[in-house]
Amino acid sequence: MSGDGTPLLQVRGISKRFGGLQAVHDLSFDLRRGEILALLGPNGAGKTTAFNMIAGYFRTDQGRILFEGRDIAGRKPWDICRIGIARTFQLSKPFSDLTVAENLMVGGFVRRSEIDEIRAKALEIADFLGMGHQAATEVQHLTAFDRRKLELGRALSTEPKLLLMDEVVAGATPSEAQEMVELVRRIRDRGVTILIVEHVMKVIMALSERVIVMESGRLIANGKPKDVVRQPEVLKAYFGEGYAARA
Amino acid sequence: MALRISKNMGAPQLATKSGYGRMATLLVVAAGVVALALPIAMPDPYFVHSCIVVLLFAYMATSWNFVCGYVGQLSIGHAMFAGVGGYATVLIFSRLGISPWLGMLVGGVLAAMLSVVVGYPTFRLKGPYFALTTIAFAEMIRIWVENTDTFLGIPLNGAAGITVPLVGESWVAFQFNGKTPYYYVILVMLVLALLATWRLERSKLGFYLKAIRGDRDAAEALGISPARYQLVALAISAFMTGVGGGFYAQFFRYVNADRLIGVEFSIDLALMSIIGGQGTVFGPLLGAVLLTPIAEITRGHLGGVLPGLHIVIYGIILILAVLYLPKGLIDPLRSILSRLSKNGRSA
Repeated sequence: MSGDGTPLLQVRGISKRFGGLQAVHDLSFDLRRGEILALLGPNGAGKTTAFNMIAGYFRTDQGRILFEGRDIAGRKPWDICRIGIARTFQLSKPFSDLTVAENLMVGGFVRRSEIDEIRAKALEIADFLGMGHQAATEVQHLTAFDRRKLELGRALSTEPKLLLMDEVVAGATPSEAQEMVELVRRIRDRGVTILIVEHVMKVIMALSERVIVMESGRLIANGKPKDVVRQPEVLKAYFGEGYAARA
Repeated sequence: MALRISKNMGAPQLATKSGYGRMATLLVVAAGVVALALPIAMPDPYFVHSCIVVLLFAYMATSWNFVCGYVGQLSIGHAMFAGVGGYATVLIFSRLGISPWLGMLVGGVLAAMLSVVVGYPTFRLKGPYFALTTIAFAEMIRIWVENTDTFLGIPLNGAAGITVPLVGESWVAFQFNGKTPYYYVILVMLVLALLATWRLERSKLGFYLKAIRGDRDAAEALGISPARYQLVALAISAFMTGVGGGFYAQFFRYVNADRLIGVEFSIDLALMSIIGGQGTVFGPLLGAVLLTPIAEITRGHLGGVLPGLHIVIYGIILILAVLYLPKGLIDPLRSILSRLSKNGRSA
């Protein structure tokens, strides 16, 4: 199940510099419709920067980002959302004085205008997340993991074609991580293409058909997860020179 | 809050909320009946006058809350919108002979235009820039008006202010000999402002403002341009405040910069909303009902002995409210209501 093959997102030579640091350097990759692509790399590799450039939170210095063939580089985050790209945040950012249902309603206004319809859709997403019974709960009373699921649900409420996920299982217990993996699969099965930035290898092995690896702002590998983790460049990036030589 | 979703859901904890909803509706209806009957039951002019002042502050605080309460931004310059509305109403009547009813609307539109000038550059920024800009703009305008006798041929009369030319009892000229007509006009205005807020809570704009208040970055990711929607809400709020300034001018038959555009007036509105409960429909009304009499009593009984004493008292109440009731005085009222309603389990 690796999508129908046509590219949904084409990243072409994007770069970003922060002062003296070249955070992303000439990064190019494709994301095919219906696939789950994982973006890996050690801390500081530029994953989150690249992620934020696609989501419109950082301006690209150079390069193009084509979504369904249209260049979206330099567009504002709210326009990117309207085009059909949703994102989650690494640290979940719920609207804490609103209820679960209200949190899930905010994004609905992008696609619909009837409030009853938006409410019904929000409750459907709450059920999808397994949080239907908590619909009327204020978010400040939720557990950290439930907030994470809500973060995902809120992104879904904008009915995206592409979902950008930033480290959704950080800090989760193994059983929670398992639940999250299951949820992400079901989202993909609903026809949403997914780009996921993730550290936890087990999650990536379980989820993605293809991974790309960044190191020092550059792309160093692109392929099936089990092949990529054997590549010397990847081992070197994660574990250092000596480990790569032994392996 | 859960009233909104109770419609489509049968979850058990929501039954509490709908009981609570009935109690709240009952209370609102009762308050409405009392408000309608008050000037008939107690026609003493001083009493009715005091009630009008309370309602005017309630209306103004409700207008302030429309943007500031829902978006979590502090304006300490809303008096500038009242000032534009008040001066416009008086000048349009005295210079052009146009009815103050129309003048109030024109004043509201002018106030909304001014708000766009203030909001456009500041809402793009995160942080306290909006608060600082509002106070700076309002003070600039106050000082300018106080020191300007005529502007482009329009007499502003500097610090002395402008009086409304009297024409005797007339609906068209919005002038009445008794206090009661003013009472009902401001009551209607307050009800409209409350309805506008109630409607806001259930609208796209309301959801967007609450999202921006909750987390600006997350709001952007959900398709919301914070600057745009904050500006829309500010313009509506400024319009409402400007119309209120027009009422102020007609009721007191006098406007001057110190009272109407002064920072004290702006602070009053902010404090009433915050103490009563900002970001709620009835919080600012509650704040005004509780705080305005304090100002009236200290002014009336202590006269010029301790000017500004009510601000000190407001300050103390504010400190207590922030420490013990950060969601405003409306919050304990809500829990009492939900306890009174049958399934008294507060969820």
